[in-house]
Amino acid sequence: MNRDSAVLVFLELGSDNAVLPVSLECITAGRKLADALQGWLFGLIMGSSVGGAADHARHCGLDRLYTLDCPLLGVYHPETYCPAFLRACDETNPHFILMGDTLASADLAPRAAFALDTGLITDCVGFEADRSGVCFIKPVYSSNVMAAYTMKTKPYLVTIRSGTEDPAQRQHDKGAEVVALAVEIGESTLMVEVLERVLDEQEGPRLTSSSIIVSGGRGVGGPEGFAVLRELARVLNAAVGASRPPVDLGWVPPKAQVGQTGEKVGPSVYVAIGISGATQHLAGMSASRTIVAINKDPAANIFKVADYGVVGNQEQVVPAFTEVLKEILP
Amino acid sequence: MNIIVCIKQVPDPEGPQECFLIKPETMRVEPRGIPPVLSLFDENALEAALRIKDVYKDEVKITVVSIGKKISNAVLQKALAVGADELVKVEGETFDSACLDSFATATAIVASIRKLGAYDLILAGRQSADCNAGQVGIFLAGLLGIPAVTLARKVVVQGAHVVVERLLSSGYEKVRTLLPAVVIVSNEAGEMRYPTMIQRMEAKKKPVKTWDAQDIGFEGATLNRLVLRRFFAPEMRQGQCRLIDGETLAEAGRNLAQRLRRDGVI
Repeated sequence: MNRDSAVLVFLELGSDNAVLPVSLECITAGRKLADALQGWLFGLIMGSSVGGAADHARHCGLDRLYTLDCPLLGVYHPETYCPAFLRACDETNPHFILMGDTLASADLAPRAAFALDTGLITDCVGFEADRSGVCFIKPVYSSNVMAAYTMKTKPYLVTIRSGTEDPAQRQHDKGAEVVALAVEIGESTLMVEVLERVLDEQEGPRLTSSSIIVSGGRGVGGPEGFAVLRELARVLNAAVGASRPPVDLGWVPPKAQVGQTGEKVGPSVYVAIGISGATQHLAGMSASRTIVAINKDPAANIFKVADYGVVGNQEQVVPAFTEVLKEILP
Repeated sequence: MNIIVCIKQVPDPEGPQECFLIKPETMRVEPRGIPPVLSLFDENALEAALRIKDVYKDEVKITVVSIGKKISNAVLQKALAVGADELVKVEGETFDSACLDSFATATAIVASIRKLGAYDLILAGRQSADCNAGQVGIFLAGLLGIPAVTLARKVVVQGAHVVVERLLSSGYEKVRTLLPAVVIVSNEAGEMRYPTMIQRMEAKKKPVKTWDAQDIGFEGATLNRLVLRRFFAPEMRQGQCRLIDGETLAEAGRNLAQRLRRDGVI
């Protein structure tokens, strides 16, 4: 093993204190990279009471798992997370650092890159490793063009888009060694003070962690149309998403938006209802494993990327679709 | 109160794919037949600045700083028309967006901000519509040694502080920090307002400064940490779309459910 080419994967925890699916995808990417470089694959979990997450992650194919367990890391704050993260980088001296492309990494990754005097490639959907080095691939120009980047500096800091890899699965092995790191974090010196946190009481699964997404577009017709989609989502245990028009029209809250300027998702099934398939929307969901489209316009762009489709008004198609699913799903 | 808003001019991101011409020999993407526009999140950043100016009126001066190879007056005039007070264009070959990474870009913006002098609040969009990197705002704060708050959906100035509602995956948090600070704005902050005809006319009389690399003492691409290897066309996802039908649309819906179950999709 080459100690100089260690890959460190930052394993972000969700609100349930479990490792996010996109972070498990990063383990898969990290494993490929570590194998190509003959380097170690390290994981890092930061949070409060991370025992359960660590116990899962250590069986997911890592060579070693580092934990930073501290009550102050229970919620993300840049001024606690960034120093803790740098402490782990110092300890592991990685050549590559991978993290999921999430709201937290949108804040953490550039701060870490700045502090480490290195570059950052965000929102990557793949990499190529050969003798000349490693290139990371990311969509640019609203996903109309792909760019391959390498870096002059070390470590490579990279965020990876959800849906890029299969999530690493728990294996029946003895598990990676877990190393608990200590970090001293003071709350008194924070420059940015949190006054309050307002968490929305969202029903059902979230876009970023759900394996099925039911998404609606302008064709859904209005807030009432979304009620029909919510019923379908309930039956499928799916999250509800939307393209931009329903968000702009106020039918659904902004955080439901999937696309270039919204959430980028890669669930196993994406059900697109009344969505025409504008580039900006496709940019956020084309990593989905299977795309199912229901749209009354047979020429709609969405059918070009879909795997299954029904041409027809969703008002007639969706309730019948939902009824049958209710019967056949366990 | 001096507010600086960083705005990038980009080829219209809504343009169809064939309008983004890849030139492998020069490693450039050349937009064809689509107009340059203000990058969307940067418009949100300007709107956030305007809402502060709505409260404090003439106490607030909004300066728009834009860096690029060639910046169109017509495009940036929109920023002046909706209510920015001054435009600073930092132009030249050195600033070609394909040649500079986020760190080099932030260094250029900081040099421009330092040349401008006083600032209390710097606003930037969360990522550009072309390079999509999402780093410049935090690098600005790092280089200036001031706090950065990201993912803002609301920005309010209260005395010596800025109070920001910051997006979380499960809601938002309200945070406060001392000025000067950088706030990085998301689309939830609101769409940029439309200018009136009168505002459009008046915008033409507003001051515009034009600087080049020498004016701001910018060394250029040597600062880059990333190396662009190539641009290429994305493989379009080719779903072999299996169309499911039925006697009626309801039956098509029922058949779709059966088929997805049979194929092990759900």
